[in-house]
Amino acid sequence: MDRRLFLQMVGAGGLAATSVACPRFLSKGKAKAEPAAPMGIPTSCELCPNKCSVLAMVEKGRVHKLNPNPENPKSRGMLCARGNAAIQQVYDPDRLKQPLIRVGERGEGKWKPVSWDEAFDFAASKLKAVKEKHGPEGTLWSSTEGFQEVFFKNLGMSFGSPNILRHPSLCLASVNLAYSMTFGTVPSFDLQNAKYVIMAGANRFESIITPDTMDLIGGVMERKAKFVYLDPRFTVTASKADEWYPIRPGSDMAFILAMIQVIISEDRYDKVFVDQWTLGFDKLAEHVKPYTPEWAEAETGIPAREIRRIAREFADAGHRAVFYAGRRSSWYQNDFQMRRAQAILNTIVGNWDREGGMVPNRRVAKGEFMFLPWDDPKASRVDEVEKAFPLTSAKDGVYLPLRENVLKGRPYPVKAWMIYKQDPLHSVPDQGKTLKMMQGMDFIGVVDIAMSDTAWYADVVFPESHYLERTDPIEVMPGIWPAAVLRQQVVKPIHDTKPMLEIAQGLAKRLGLSDYFDYTIDQWIEAEAKELPVENGLEYMKKHGVVAFSEPKYGTTRNAVYRFVTKSGKIEIFSERLAEAGHDPLPAYASPVQPPQGRYRMILGRKATMTHAALANLPWLHEHTPENDLWINTDEAARMGIRTGDLVEVSSTAGTVRLKARATEEIRPDCVFMLHGFGKKSPWLRSVHNVGAADAVLLETAWDKVSGNAAMHETFVKVVKV
Amino acid sequence: MSKTASRRYVMVLDSRKCIDCKACVVACKAENDVPLGRFRNWINAERSGFYPRLRASFDPEQCHHCENPSCVRVCPTGASFQREDGIVEVREADCIGCKYCMVACPYNARFFNEETQVVDKCTFCAHRVDRGELPACVETCPSRVRTFGDITDPKSPVHALLEGRRYRVLKPQTGNGPQLYYLL
Repeated sequence: MDRRLFLQMVGAGGLAATSVACPRFLSKGKAKAEPAAPMGIPTSCELCPNKCSVLAMVEKGRVHKLNPNPENPKSRGMLCARGNAAIQQVYDPDRLKQPLIRVGERGEGKWKPVSWDEAFDFAASKLKAVKEKHGPEGTLWSSTEGFQEVFFKNLGMSFGSPNILRHPSLCLASVNLAYSMTFGTVPSFDLQNAKYVIMAGANRFESIITPDTMDLIGGVMERKAKFVYLDPRFTVTASKADEWYPIRPGSDMAFILAMIQVIISEDRYDKVFVDQWTLGFDKLAEHVKPYTPEWAEAETGIPAREIRRIAREFADAGHRAVFYAGRRSSWYQNDFQMRRAQAILNTIVGNWDREGGMVPNRRVAKGEFMFLPWDDPKASRVDEVEKAFPLTSAKDGVYLPLRENVLKGRPYPVKAWMIYKQDPLHSVPDQGKTLKMMQGMDFIGVVDIAMSDTAWYADVVFPESHYLERTDPIEVMPGIWPAAVLRQQVVKPIHDTKPMLEIAQGLAKRLGLSDYFDYTIDQWIEAEAKELPVENGLEYMKKHGVVAFSEPKYGTTRNAVYRFVTKSGKIEIFSERLAEAGHDPLPAYASPVQPPQGRYRMILGRKATMTHAALANLPWLHEHTPENDLWINTDEAARMGIRTGDLVEVSSTAGTVRLKARATEEIRPDCVFMLHGFGKKSPWLRSVHNVGAADAVLLETAWDKVSGNAAMHETFVKVVKV
Repeated sequence: MSKTASRRYVMVLDSRKCIDCKACVVACKAENDVPLGRFRNWINAERSGFYPRLRASFDPEQCHHCENPSCVRVCPTGASFQREDGIVEVREADCIGCKYCMVACPYNARFFNEETQVVDKCTFCAHRVDRGELPACVETCPSRVRTFGDITDPKSPVHALLEGRRYRVLKPQTGNGPQLYYLL
């Protein structure tokens, strides 16, 4: 709002004569002499999943600056450090500049630059050979989310492979499943209007999610909301909270169950709501009886009187109180059940679909491009997800169980791996196992913009054009402030790169699948734009970059005819489907195993400049964190004679790394922590090549029992001064 | 030249909202071609206490565009100058790189730019301000720490903030009259 005011003020008052006032910029030839602000090209950031709207400022064919585009209410008119640093990906001297075929051993780094035709021919012949010997199910297609992921996925599916593997089981599969099983949908949290917010581990002020981060900092710091935060580490989020509790890792569910126990036993729940909309409340009341605050104190380390008080305050804030779900929920083996407990706590205070509560997402309508459909794959999935995790999303797969099966060649061999926009050597726990899985492949093809570690071990590398160099499908982002965004080409590709669609088409042609990719990106987005809720959708999108609803709507599901998309049509506090699948129908607590003497639990987290493995290499981000270090509590460090800056060896059953120590007060004595994105094997990531250590080397294989989501806080490590 | 004499640009910072995310720093780098390892703006982090009673605070800082800038006073060539709207700048062509100004600045807000071979610092993005835009750091800030505007304009949001809230400035004792206002 202050921005608008400023702009209006200047607009009305006339402008200073820039040519006189600003000689420096004229002499450097950098500034334009016109008084009007230069127009940026609207597009959508790709540095993280928030897809913020940006205006790309281009001078002489070069992107010079990315400004936030205030038209997207979801991105709240801001652009974070990562978004600002995206320019450096385009002009990175180490970028992938043309297709490469491996000539030495895997990982040896001997590459032959080839033409696109050669790269396509090579990859197609390898994929065909695997198909001939093992069937199309002998190929694995893994990717992380992105606007062009659909083309990669479609290539794998039209090739006939059932093995399409997406990122959720490394990220939010457990939280999505838990809320879906309860409400039939995954809601958003209205942090802009909430009066009482509890967060556990979701470090929102360092791992930015729009609009939650912006809304929460506004709400908390302007004293509109009370904020309670649980985390074994003193994060930036902890520093801003009204109350921070370094909860014992893995015991969040005990805290939540005790809150539910207090709220029910003291009759503080929303009776009208519970009666009208929910199923199984009586069973819940009986179920939580033993979960008293006194019991929870022993589990969590948080005093019973505080738990009781927080539960009362939470219930008193009623429908404006939220226990925030979090996003990356790949923590513990009970993760699904812990998220279910959150969902149930939110339910009983009646915050469903209310201002300041938990709100079902709205969507901006968009059209679909109709392409030729293919036959369903004949083979079942190699991760046996339907059998092992019948409730989870089978189409996305489960990463870690899949790797176990592939390593064992069970139920059938998988011998080719195509990878898009993902670095499994860093994003998947136990790097050693992933490397072993790669070594067992007859063929590995990687599509990426930079030489990731995974690309470094591939047989062929297809360089994708950067997001600022290509036009992508229109993306719909559901939410309280829903938006549809366009990513459009801002500059011409500066190297011999292609967007994923053209890479898919090049391979499809050689695999006899061209009929399924018989379209252009323009045709695709034209079809999508037709049903956008604006006149001349495509033109509008090219001009604005975004269509969004800026006014939230509350209560659309709170009417007599609404049926929740659950078995009973109600909010399922008690879930029969869970019972049928052999899981606890109500979240039951089991005390987590604690690290034995001399071991520490390794916990993960992010920093605002360092979230994804690909970002640590960007100089503007890297200069703030030249290398990662091992956070260890000061007392523990002193006991072992470790001082900040000392080299330590950290080992688990999965692997061993060396990195510098940081003796700090800001972590529990039973935990250690390191940032993600360091210790890279690829010399083409020069800022982080052999710098610091990779968390993936240490993380052991464990997953959530219901969703199959990776459990990344289940590793105990030993720390020794070198 | 149109009248700028009545304007006085200032920045008001609500540091409590600062999450140390570095968006302002990176936006500045891109906007102003600031070399690696050098900074026109930065965030002072202060951490204290013992587990589990801990505190952390973050204060963004840059050139204070002082009312009475000591850097301008010591500049032997007049390269460091103050515009009528209060923005302190370095005229590149006149800078001989003597670095007196760097020593004179009580805020350590200046650095020698090895690429341009002149002294460099925050300009409040004067080139953007002159086009009616906000400084890059202000525009990009995710948590709305920064408010920029003309203090002499009663309609400006900075005016309202400084009227209605308590604030402090850094090192007032220097007599420089710094124009970064930190809300309390």
